[in-house]
Amino acid sequence: MQYCSACQTAIASVVILDLNQGAVTGSQHLCPACAEQLGVAQPKTPTKFSAEILEDLLGGLKSSGQTARQRTEACPGCGMTPQDFRAKGRLGCPRCYDTFRADLLPLLQRIHEAQSHRGRLPGRIAEAPPPVDDRNLAALRKKLEDAVRGERYEDAARLRDELRRLERGEETRS
Amino acid sequence: MTGKPKDGEPEYQAGAWLRGDGPESDIALCTRVRLARNVQGYHFSPRLDDTEARELRDFVIDRLQKPGLSEKLTIIDLDSIDELERSVLVERHLISRELAASKRPRAVAIDADESVAIMLNEEDHLRMQVFASGLELDGAWQRAERLDDCLIQRVPIAWSEEFGFETSCPTNIGTGLRLSVMLHLPGLVWSEDVERATNVAQKIHLAVRGLYGEGSRALGDFYQVSNQITLGRDEKEILGDVRLAVGRLVKWEREVREALLRGGARVKTLDRIHRALGTIERAQILTSEESLGCLSALRFGIEEDVLTGFRVADVNKALLMSQPGHLQRHSRQVLGPEERDQRRAQLLREVLKIEV
Repeated sequence: MQYCSACQTAIASVVILDLNQGAVTGSQHLCPACAEQLGVAQPKTPTKFSAEILEDLLGGLKSSGQTARQRTEACPGCGMTPQDFRAKGRLGCPRCYDTFRADLLPLLQRIHEAQSHRGRLPGRIAEAPPPVDDRNLAALRKKLEDAVRGERYEDAARLRDELRRLERGEETRS
Repeated sequence: MTGKPKDGEPEYQAGAWLRGDGPESDIALCTRVRLARNVQGYHFSPRLDDTEARELRDFVIDRLQKPGLSEKLTIIDLDSIDELERSVLVERHLISRELAASKRPRAVAIDADESVAIMLNEEDHLRMQVFASGLELDGAWQRAERLDDCLIQRVPIAWSEEFGFETSCPTNIGTGLRLSVMLHLPGLVWSEDVERATNVAQKIHLAVRGLYGEGSRALGDFYQVSNQITLGRDEKEILGDVRLAVGRLVKWEREVREALLRGGARVKTLDRIHRALGTIERAQILTSEESLGCLSALRFGIEEDVLTGFRVADVNKALLMSQPGHLQRHSRQVLGPEERDQRRAQLLREVLKIEV
């Protein structure tokens, strides 16, 4: 047990290691309060909602290089920018639902207290089944959602990779 | 592709709003089902340019006119009629104010008795509305469902397994279904219970708005109750939510009306009803606000057998005819606000067949 090197009164529970090319060159022991004050530790974060974890997971879907772009670039279907979407609250085309998915899911949760559809669908009415890929994607997303809710993160990661593969397949085709 | 509503008296008999029949029609004027749909392969309205909008409108009209549709639709290109005619359609609830004011190519398809109206190029490509008199949720829904089935077979509709019917605004996503019931609640308003009553509906995520007037003020004690949630609840559940809330409001309104006509409260209530009738009989100038208040009291009086010799259908008609668009069209001239108020006072007596 060690006392905090900053305040000298509280028990240290945060250890800061100075690393130089993989080798530990120094260390500092701090209590949580001092660590936070010094900006070396995050304030205690509230537990994430499963929807946020899901978002994080889905945010990483289209390969990490695209993740950042996804949030700042326009919808490939209609050119709607995230700024436009946030300002107007309207979508520009069906593809926007994918483009702005990360923004949409929490929004839908707030508006409807739900994030996915129940009820009539044209596929069942017109007897024209939807493209298989779409259905698989939706089913996988659902499974992924369930896995995250059940805190089965290994399953979630596997499902995420599977989704990523499917999405890549779609991208090469289109 | 143009057609105009027929001129003359018969059209005022039409319209589910006006008939004054149907279940619970003493309180519920009308039930409306609205479905929001978009067509695959076209941008949603915020990204739709005029060329695309015109092509889309003509494509949908072409598909709607193919044989086999159970509804006989008249298609009205909203650029082919003037502002006054458009305001008449707005007052008849056949098109929205937004569609009337929009600059892009747009149209509406209306059936003969005005119980179906399909708006083209509103906030969504298609906004289908089905109206039924009184509280008729199941009947109106079934008709809307059949119409939707027909449409889906004729036009490729944008949807996904995950989000359901894809709409321009996230508030309509999923079922795209907005169910509304128009209620006349003078009892709850006069006994100052209306706020408590509407809170009941709001607790289960239903919106309660005034039918006339801007903002939160409900002129003439007319209210519109509608679902707000369209995602994650299926159509049957949404129907159930609205049925539950409206059923409670109707029951509450009946109880309050009874109380208002009992004991010490009775004379005050009768006074209010007869004063309204007196105003309608004698007034030379009537603003739309005052006219709505008087017609509300009159309707209450007729429904509760305080007044005889009037028909509720005529009161409903007077409600419609006293609005600016109808008033001016009936007079066959554009009228300023003051002229309208004078004309309104005369017209109410005409419609209600009051001879002075």
